[in-house]
Amino acid sequence: MNIEEKGFNQDFQFEAPMAPKRTRLQEFWLLFRQNRLAILGLFIFILFFCCAIMGLFMTSGPDPLFDPAMIRLQEKLRPPLAKPNLYSLRHEEIPCLGFYLMGTDDLGRDVFARMLQGAWVSLTVGFVAVGISVLIGIFMGGVAGYFGQHHIRVDHILMTILLIAGAGLVMANSIRFGAVLLCLTLTYIFYSFFTQNRSREKYVPSWAKVFRKNAVSMDTLIMRIVDIMLCFPSFFLILTVVALLPASIYNIMIVIGLTSWMGTTRFVRAEFLSLREQDFVAAVKTLGAGNFRIIFRHMMPNAIAPVLVSATIGIATAILTEAGLSFLGFGVPPPHATWGNILSDGKNFIFDAPWLTFIPGIAILIVVLSFNLFGEGLRDVLNPKLRERH
Amino acid sequence: MLSFIGRSVVQKIITLFFVSIVSFLIIHIAPGKPSQVDPMNPKFTPEVVERFRKEFHLDKPLHVQYLYFYKDLFTGETVSWKDNQSVLKKIWERFLNSLPLFIVGTIITWTLSFPIGIRSAIFRGQFYDRSATFLSYLLISIPGFFFAYVLIIFVVNQFHVPVIGMETFGIGDGASLPYIFMDRIWHLLLPSVLGATGGIAVLSRYVRSQMLEVEGQDYIRTARAKGLPPEQVHYKHALRNALLPFVTMFGLILPGLIGGSVIIESIFSWPGMGRMAYEAILARDYPVILTVNFVSAILVLAGTFISDLLYLIVDPRIRL
Amino acid sequence: MANNNTLISVQDLKVYFRTSHECARAVDGISFEVRKEETVCLVGESGCGKTVSALSILGLIPTPSGEIAGGRILFQDKNLLELDEEDMQKVRGNRIAMVFQEPLTSLNPVFTIEDQIGEAIRIHKNVGAKELRDRCFKLLKDVGIPSPVQRLKDYPHQLSGGQRQRVMIAMALACDPDLIIADEPTTALDVTVQAQILRLLKSFQKTRSMSVLYITHDLGVVANIADRVYVMYSGIITEQGNTAQIFHDARHPYTQGLLASLPSRSKRGKRLYSIPGTVPNPAYKPAGCPFHPRCPHAIPTCAKEYPQMCDFGQGHLARCPVLFEGGDDTNK
Repeated sequence: MNIEEKGFNQDFQFEAPMAPKRTRLQEFWLLFRQNRLAILGLFIFILFFCCAIMGLFMTSGPDPLFDPAMIRLQEKLRPPLAKPNLYSLRHEEIPCLGFYLMGTDDLGRDVFARMLQGAWVSLTVGFVAVGISVLIGIFMGGVAGYFGQHHIRVDHILMTILLIAGAGLVMANSIRFGAVLLCLTLTYIFYSFFTQNRSREKYVPSWAKVFRKNAVSMDTLIMRIVDIMLCFPSFFLILTVVALLPASIYNIMIVIGLTSWMGTTRFVRAEFLSLREQDFVAAVKTLGAGNFRIIFRHMMPNAIAPVLVSATIGIATAILTEAGLSFLGFGVPPPHATWGNILSDGKNFIFDAPWLTFIPGIAILIVVLSFNLFGEGLRDVLNPKLRERH
Repeated sequence: MLSFIGRSVVQKIITLFFVSIVSFLIIHIAPGKPSQVDPMNPKFTPEVVERFRKEFHLDKPLHVQYLYFYKDLFTGETVSWKDNQSVLKKIWERFLNSLPLFIVGTIITWTLSFPIGIRSAIFRGQFYDRSATFLSYLLISIPGFFFAYVLIIFVVNQFHVPVIGMETFGIGDGASLPYIFMDRIWHLLLPSVLGATGGIAVLSRYVRSQMLEVEGQDYIRTARAKGLPPEQVHYKHALRNALLPFVTMFGLILPGLIGGSVIIESIFSWPGMGRMAYEAILARDYPVILTVNFVSAILVLAGTFISDLLYLIVDPRIRL
Repeated sequence: MANNNTLISVQDLKVYFRTSHECARAVDGISFEVRKEETVCLVGESGCGKTVSALSILGLIPTPSGEIAGGRILFQDKNLLELDEEDMQKVRGNRIAMVFQEPLTSLNPVFTIEDQIGEAIRIHKNVGAKELRDRCFKLLKDVGIPSPVQRLKDYPHQLSGGQRQRVMIAMALACDPDLIIADEPTTALDVTVQAQILRLLKSFQKTRSMSVLYITHDLGVVANIADRVYVMYSGIITEQGNTAQIFHDARHPYTQGLLASLPSRSKRGKRLYSIPGTVPNPAYKPAGCPFHPRCPHAIPTCAKEYPQMCDFGQGHLARCPVLFEGGDDTNK
């Protein structure tokens, strides 16, 4: 037919219009932008971040701009926007702005300064705790999802137990026994490591074969660990550990992080399990990519969406948990200020000085709200099944 | 089916065993001693401390202590170090106190969340959905104790709702049964509403997102193409599929019995399990802490087991 | 022309999908009709708007983003686009029924087959339980499902793909509709099953005096069952006619390109033809004739003027004035 010849000789005289090229990030931003609440959340978060950083600079050091620790007993429980009684104050005790922007607490400290100091603490607690939990979660979930079918042999388990026992004995001062145990186990580990690469046809006596049996798969092991961790009611676990350990801000962050990785693990494992069967992973494998490359370069960007969402909401939860702990008396030790501290101190004066309760309470509410809005906005955009059809 | 149950139970028991070991280790490895045993405590002379240690096997190595403790636990003889009462009796009493709070709170939460969530999903993007969404975010974000104080300040002054304890002081035996009953309910009101609001916020969002996901499926389009009126499409076809994960969640509310809320119970001076566990932690009352932990682990495992079972029953796609 | 023989007539239908930054013109003014007891095929590549056209007949376009921007759909002297929801429900499943592409996801996984077919009947007709069961049984037999009694109690995931699609057809037939719209019902199935389903549909045309609007991208299917064919491209109808006219005497360059790209024994050993270029994005269509960037016969007017339908006689129309004026020599 004629058309075939014409078709092949045809050069394009006419240009077809093309849709504008957009990168994934632009596409994402266009969708995200439509959710006004999420934009509000993002905006407030940026505001909070700037306040926290500024607050850190303005309240730390030997002679800060806003001093959160300056006790002025003669000025206690002044309401917000009150002018200080200049006659009773020394020169350096006069608040920076000339009046108490948010009033004073029962020790006469400037609440505004304490709020600024507390902002930084809340921010750090949120980010560090969630950082820890996300890192652990991704690691555990990734291993469970990707290497799930690898089995752990009986001798591996035995060696781990003996290793821990040996270390424990050394720490409990029976150094000789501990050292002997440690040496034995380490030798066995090196031996098995080196022989793995050699021929597997070595003769193994039948009594020793038991040690080579596969005991449990990685997936089962990690999921059982998650189940064990989930059996402890989380707030109690945090409370227990925080009550038993010396109080410090780092302990709190680490404990909150160590008790909230389970959700992330489940998400990552579920995503990896489904991604592992997809064709693009098989394609990359046939090109010769090693395991690490596959996991970090190809699978992780696809699995990161639920992790991001739960991380954002996790920051909000961590801030609330820290406030709760401070309320119960287990938070960051005084005189360092956190928003939970201020609230907790204020609960004794709730009818006389309601601003001590309301100001940090509303501040926590707004910050946590902004994180939640932002996180939910992320979730709506990253999950195509839930997208608004505008 | 039977093999699944058998396998599941065995796995849960193994997990329980490990939980008991881990919680035991956490308590004993953490620095510090129980206050009664602390040589610094001025109330106790050294001989009393020594007797205490012998009595509770604190001088023996860890694994022996472990065995002693769990033997006592299973024979019901564990004794609290603080006030020498039987731990199981204490837990039972406090459990009975926490139970009404928990039941009322759960009923309020589950009966309100579903209509709100479903309606939000059906009228997506409209005023109802937007206001429900915003309210949910607000309730999720507010710190519990702050919200409690706000409620207390505004509600108590207006309506004279009680905020302390489970019953009015001195109500004694003089009052008639209906009066006691109403009094209890009146005391129950504020704490359970407080507990429920957070739960409603979270659950209704989840219900909404499940409904939305189901509404986007092809079989909903088929149902509409058959000429079904919208109510039937939503409440017969969509809901039945959307509710599947919630049936399983139902089993998981069991652990909430113990979790309770330390904060709510502290604020309202409600003598419940949360506060007991909190006080035990403060006093390093090891038996109580470990027993509460153990019971909570049992509840969690039982709850997961029930959810798995329910899921088997309800979803026709899964038949073992 | 609408006459007593016309069952349903779609006139100048326009369906647009709006997002915040663009407007996709999925269906851009199409007109077609289905007469009584005939099989009409709507052919086109993926993305040309055929499914959207079918869905808009039953009013199933997702509404926040999609809107009917114009046109009429005349069915039994009523404009379906103007009916309110209640009246529309009386039409759906009852007078016009639809069979979808993916049988597994189109059946509700938690209800048995009997429930779902029975529901199709119960909505529109008032029948007792025993009669309902008998009707379901008969429907399953009519569509050729073996051991229907057992199948009635089964859930969708227990059936094979072909059986599920037969169940969908049974659901569509439940109320004896005048028109069945089949949206690529066999695309997800094996070729052998496809042949059986096609034969089934064709048989109903006479036995139940039913019309079928069959949507597909497979020209082989069209050759098999169609009485008349409409070829769609980028939201418009480019050619229409009966099967013989389309296959032996195609007058639009797009149709000619489609036919030329079909592999056949006569082309053995030669390089297979393919239409150069790609289907335009519905939100960014070329001006004038949507096909002109890919057309071997395009002239400069094609880029400026939207072409009208040209009548080649006996119901054969094509939207290409170039070939119309060029006479017969381009095609023999």
